[in-house]
Amino acid sequence: MAALLDPPLLRRLEALALQVRRTVSGQMGGERRSNARGRSVEFADFRNYTPGDDFRLIDWNAYARLDRYMLRLFVAEQELPLSIFVDLSGSMDWGNPNKALTAKRLAGAIAYVALAALDRVRLTVFAEGPTSGGAPYRGRRAVAELFSRLQSFPVGGQTDYARLVWPIGKQRPGMTVLISDGLGETSIDSAIAALGRARQEGAVLQLLAPQEIAPDWTGDARLRDSETGVEREFTSTPVTQGAYLEALSHRTHEIESSAHRRGLRYARLSTDQPIDDMVLRTLRKLGLLS
Amino acid sequence: MSFLVPAAGFLALTLPAIIALYFLRIRRPTRIVPALNLWPDQIRDRQANVPWQRLRFSWLLLLQLLGAAILVAAAVQPTLSAGTSLARHSVVLLDVSASMQAHDVKPSRLDEAKSEIGGLIDQLGPQDRMTLLAVDSTPRIIASVVGDRQALHRALDATNATNGQADLSAALTLAAGLVRPGDDARAYVFSDGIVGPLRTDSTNALPFPAEYHRVGVSGENVGLTSLVVRTEAQSRAGYLHLQNFGQQARSFSLEWRADGRLVDVRPLTLAGGQAEDLVLPVPTGATLVSAHITAGDVFALDDTVTAVARAPRAFRVLLVTPGNVFMEQALRVRTDLQLDVVAPAAYKSSAAYAMTIFDRFSPKSLPNGPFVMIDPPAGSPLAGGPAVGIGRTSATDAGDPLLTNVDLRDVHIARSQDLRTSSFGRPLITSLQTPLVLVRDEPFRQALFGFDLHESDLPLRIAFPILVENLSEWMLPPSVPSHSFHPDEAVTIVPETGATSVTVIRPDGSRRTLATSSIATFGDTDRTGLYTVEQLVSGNVDRSWFTVNLFSEQISQLKPADRLTLPPVNTTATTHALHRGQLEIWPWIALVALGIVVVEWLAFHRGL
Repeated sequence: MAALLDPPLLRRLEALALQVRRTVSGQMGGERRSNARGRSVEFADFRNYTPGDDFRLIDWNAYARLDRYMLRLFVAEQELPLSIFVDLSGSMDWGNPNKALTAKRLAGAIAYVALAALDRVRLTVFAEGPTSGGAPYRGRRAVAELFSRLQSFPVGGQTDYARLVWPIGKQRPGMTVLISDGLGETSIDSAIAALGRARQEGAVLQLLAPQEIAPDWTGDARLRDSETGVEREFTSTPVTQGAYLEALSHRTHEIESSAHRRGLRYARLSTDQPIDDMVLRTLRKLGLLS
Repeated sequence: MSFLVPAAGFLALTLPAIIALYFLRIRRPTRIVPALNLWPDQIRDRQANVPWQRLRFSWLLLLQLLGAAILVAAAVQPTLSAGTSLARHSVVLLDVSASMQAHDVKPSRLDEAKSEIGGLIDQLGPQDRMTLLAVDSTPRIIASVVGDRQALHRALDATNATNGQADLSAALTLAAGLVRPGDDARAYVFSDGIVGPLRTDSTNALPFPAEYHRVGVSGENVGLTSLVVRTEAQSRAGYLHLQNFGQQARSFSLEWRADGRLVDVRPLTLAGGQAEDLVLPVPTGATLVSAHITAGDVFALDDTVTAVARAPRAFRVLLVTPGNVFMEQALRVRTDLQLDVVAPAAYKSSAAYAMTIFDRFSPKSLPNGPFVMIDPPAGSPLAGGPAVGIGRTSATDAGDPLLTNVDLRDVHIARSQDLRTSSFGRPLITSLQTPLVLVRDEPFRQALFGFDLHESDLPLRIAFPILVENLSEWMLPPSVPSHSFHPDEAVTIVPETGATSVTVIRPDGSRRTLATSSIATFGDTDRTGLYTVEQLVSGNVDRSWFTVNLFSEQISQLKPADRLTLPPVNTTATTHALHRGQLEIWPWIALVALGIVVVEWLAFHRGL
């Protein structure tokens, strides 16, 4: 099996970090500012000592001046819980370069950035329903396992975004990245709305193939839906292609509007864009990475 | 209407083929798409979806059928009958002589004629052939029995006007040679009718009928028809003849230049048909004079004339005679001869003289050069037999250039030496009894008179000075003749002794190199103006000049002839029925088809 990401790209990804707009609340220590107080070098506040507090935190200088026990409080640095939802439905198994493969590589790159910063990564793939990518991954040592798992998922099935609502809703507040083409029979709006309700900060990355952004064929054809297998006869002319492009634009606009309403970032990506350009340029410009 | 390629009509099968293709069920390739719901439910019934379904109206199908039908119509190459009657072999004689440069019709008579001939070419059918002849002083074939219209157009376009006069007789003779007996041929003469003398007798009967197509409308022209520089009493003057050949009075100015510098400008007015002679001053030392009129007429070729003003180099001539006033006076007529007269006793051989005339005297050794021996005394190597009485005199060859304008009808000679056995040369003037004057070219040009001029009335006739002039010019030709020549007229150039190169510089600046070993004939004189001859002699460049001018009243008259009396048609020639010319219209039909295809393309892209 070919490597998901090549080593030169991984080295460059190590210089990046997920960029969060608000403090996070993780379970374990990490490199992210938390709204909790804890151990770090960044001073936060003073408070009076109460029995049970760690006496190692008593500020003896303040005691000398005030004759009271005061505790120095520091900003706790916690991990960032990152959830990545990757659409591996039938519609993603299309295009050149293949959308599913690109989605896996994109998810792997974002996960690698998080793991390199000691953030916790939870991977979920979905088609007809969500499939967990296993226990949360943490630390650089988990990279190989995550990549292996990511590559092992099959592609196919019909997209049902509604079934993402429950797994999204149980997420702890953190960052979520949803990678999908957004072209299922059902609307992706339910999933995006669930992200908003779960106080998730993150991004919706719509991944399309260049052949569906600008169809390169005309004439008569029998169209077959990649997910449902439904067929329909069709005559492609500049006029009918214009209608398709308008429908695609409308769908894209709906997804973008829905994401922005929920405070999420949105980007439409084309699979013919190199993965390093996609991560190092587009996602940095989007503010997802820094 | 007729069709050039009726066999192409089988292409009409494409029409039912298009309809059949519509009836056949379309075989649609399957394409997998990520989301079918994004694709509109739009199917155009440009083709049937079930076999042999009812034919539905479709703009595209209609346009395709229309386009195919028009393309089939173009493929069969329909033609319309044109107005001109054509034979299978059309012989077109295009006058390209000087007068065809007149622009009384725009842009010029020649272009007008070429345009008409172009129309004739376009009407040629697939079986028709055409021969194109350019008619000037030397007619030439520019396309021989050609059926390719593009080739004919190319040949026609490449034809330019010349400055010579049209020799239509020679052109018709040339054309007659191209037509085989029994051929369905017809000649078309496109000319203004200003041509050389036509031989219209039955011996020159044509094997095909000929039509004259007149080109040109006006004869309004003022032209300069003569310019001569004469030296008289140590002064020189230019004698210019100009004439208004039109019917309307014209006012214009005359510019007179010497060596390019303006000498005089004269306003002139000439009534219709009026001619005028002007005497114009020639400055001392001038080499070239030219006259130019700004008449603004329709013919420019006769508006400028040039002449060489420098006198030709003088020849020294020796007359050895006991006394001959007739010969002395005849030789003095030529201003370029420096004549010395000596008595026979005083004669000494000298290389300084270019020509010697021995009158009744023969030296011990004859000079190695041109000489004239008159009545050689007995004992001379050139003396003939005993004197014989002479009756009528006549020319041995009436067309001999040495006897040009020499009238011998009233010439009487008492007696002459018998030259019948002389091996001197060919006889020039003869009688029933004996040749009277002999001439020879080798080793030098020399002449022998067998009679004493005083025993003849020849010196009293006008023929005598003319004969002496002809003989002296023949013996002492100038290296480069300085007078004016007509366009295309050959010029004889005798290289100077010791010349290592002879080059002629034409009016357009182009140079032609001539051989130095022999007398050269220079025929590249199609352009009017000044020709400079440069000879390199002993490292020095020796320049002399001659000019070429139109100087033709017949051409300057310019009025196109309404009728041209062409030679009769040979009665034995087979008569063929003419057919109408064909005007091909398929290019226009193909253009319409192209428009239909464009509309069909637009309709397809607009989803009709």
